[in-house]
Amino acid sequence: MAEKRSFVLDRFLKKAAPFMSLLLMVVLLTLLSPYFLTLDNLTAIALQMSVVAIMAIGQMLVIISAGIDLAAGSVMAFSGVVAALMMSQGFGIWPAIIAGLLAGLACGLFSGVLIAKGHLPPFIATLGMMGIGRGLALLLTGGKAVFGLPQSFSILGGGRIADLAPGWIDRLAGGVPIPVLFTIVLAVVFHLLLTRLPFGRHIYAIGSNPAAAKLSGIQVPQNLIKIYALNGLLCGFAGIVSASRLSTGQPTAGTGAELDVIAACVIGGASLSGGEGTILGAMIGALIMGVLRNGCNLLDIPDFWQRIAIGIIIIAAVFSDQYRKHQNKKI
Amino acid sequence: MKRIALLFLLLAVLWLGCVQTTDQVQILVSPKGLVHSFWLTVKAGAEQAGKEEGARVIWKGPALETDIATQISILEDYINKKVDAIVLAACDANALIPTIEKADAAGIPVIIIDSGVNSDVPKSLVATDNILAAQKGADALAGLIGEKGKVALIPFVPGAGTSVMREEGFKQGLAKYPKIELVAVQYSQSEVERAMSVTENILTAHQDLSGIFAANEAGTIGCAQAVKSRGMAGKIKLVGFDASPNEVQALQEGVVDALIVQNPYQMGYQGVKAALAVLNGQKVEPVIDTGVTVVTRDNLETPAIQQLLASMNE
Repeated sequence: MAEKRSFVLDRFLKKAAPFMSLLLMVVLLTLLSPYFLTLDNLTAIALQMSVVAIMAIGQMLVIISAGIDLAAGSVMAFSGVVAALMMSQGFGIWPAIIAGLLAGLACGLFSGVLIAKGHLPPFIATLGMMGIGRGLALLLTGGKAVFGLPQSFSILGGGRIADLAPGWIDRLAGGVPIPVLFTIVLAVVFHLLLTRLPFGRHIYAIGSNPAAAKLSGIQVPQNLIKIYALNGLLCGFAGIVSASRLSTGQPTAGTGAELDVIAACVIGGASLSGGEGTILGAMIGALIMGVLRNGCNLLDIPDFWQRIAIGIIIIAAVFSDQYRKHQNKKI
Repeated sequence: MKRIALLFLLLAVLWLGCVQTTDQVQILVSPKGLVHSFWLTVKAGAEQAGKEEGARVIWKGPALETDIATQISILEDYINKKVDAIVLAACDANALIPTIEKADAAGIPVIIIDSGVNSDVPKSLVATDNILAAQKGADALAGLIGEKGKVALIPFVPGAGTSVMREEGFKQGLAKYPKIELVAVQYSQSEVERAMSVTENILTAHQDLSGIFAANEAGTIGCAQAVKSRGMAGKIKLVGFDASPNEVQALQEGVVDALIVQNPYQMGYQGVKAALAVLNGQKVEPVIDTGVTVVTRDNLETPAIQQLLASMNE
């Protein structure tokens, strides 16, 4: 009985720990800075984190399958640049967005095929893709930022719901930035995909034990390709949102973003050995990093300290997780 | 529980690190980078002006010049925090415009230093006249190579206001010398490693090159290293930009032949002064030129130059 309770408690702690950390940070920052708990500031945090959060959804799928994607930031830049170039060449917004998404999808498919069919470790395949993606972005633009995007394109990254939908939605949630709306919708869709569809269960099975997954009739290679393709698509979308927010196509956008994305997943409770993690966790992880950065600005903490703080949070998150697992084994 | 305890500890430590003053005028100064000595000198000037006027200067910027999104985030956070004024060196001439407009709408005046934006919202631009400065660079290089031969240009970030203007100014300056041909333009991305590798590529592709103009600190250091490691020091005339200790050393060693030295101390100092003037309802000039000096081995030891360099490296 006692053992069972400790198991239930442990499950609860594991699920709730990232959320409790976030809540604690929010309470502390509210006490420390009068500017933290304001609508403008909270909106700004959500907006700042939306690009990382969108990529964290894809990365979470990959990490649950016991993989990793180091190419997220590069693919994001590549897709953003493809979309921006199309627009600056006079193609419409929609064809440009579709081209950008396809660029991301193609990168994801490429990594996925290398991993599933070529049996490359995900670390290596995506490390290669990271260089290729960044190189393509620089090559296509000649290293220059792409200007002259149409004004209406900036709604995607810089607009609010009020710009799109008049009427009752406007009054209810008109101030919500559009990238945040996208993030929420995508998080819900992928949460349902992971928890309600067979594909979702297959991802967990592949991550926990690929051999057993294969024996139970799961098509491991096809599923892996699907996972990396979806991840590439999400990175492509993040790239388009980012290009819209910066109102330019920047070939150097998202340099190092993959590390933020992986950190968000890990802080949110994902295990790099696979089989564990939730979309909600990734979102909370992204928010923790966003709140931390914002808090450092509100409290005037110098940038160098900010980096140390984020490093400590990542280590603390994984450490507490490992500690609990270790304790369990002893019982 | 461990995690929560650690978080508490962390935030407590961070809280101790921050000063709580509320009635002082607060000015955010956001540079494009944190590590180059150019920006550290801007910081010294900004802090001096703050000290003189009793204002608090908050120094926050992205670590890399290419990290535009981080600079936008910093500005947004401080707009929400309601600082009194913002002094900004913009990472990108276009991407920062919506954020600057947001600050202006919130009643926070914006002064631009060093790198301009394509907007007339800022109250003043306190900067080197980069076109004029790069023209001086072209003149210095032309003098060094006897007004004839092939030269290369290493600007830094494509599309960044300063980089574009120096590229333009250098080309305008060269137009006066019909016997000089510009054979290569390669970007350093403000990274020393990148500057080294592009210089090596240029040297390989153009064996008969006479001179190079590197348009900023990282570009000059990387370019000088590449030239030196090829054993071409002195054979290739090199004109650099700014005067970090590394660059001055390269000038003394004979790898670099002239440095176009800006006055970053004045940018920080006059930027903060201009911001305070706007807050006090005074009128400020829309453009304040902080000027450049051509430093060579011949004038390096003169008192005026030594004083300029000392103000930059304190």
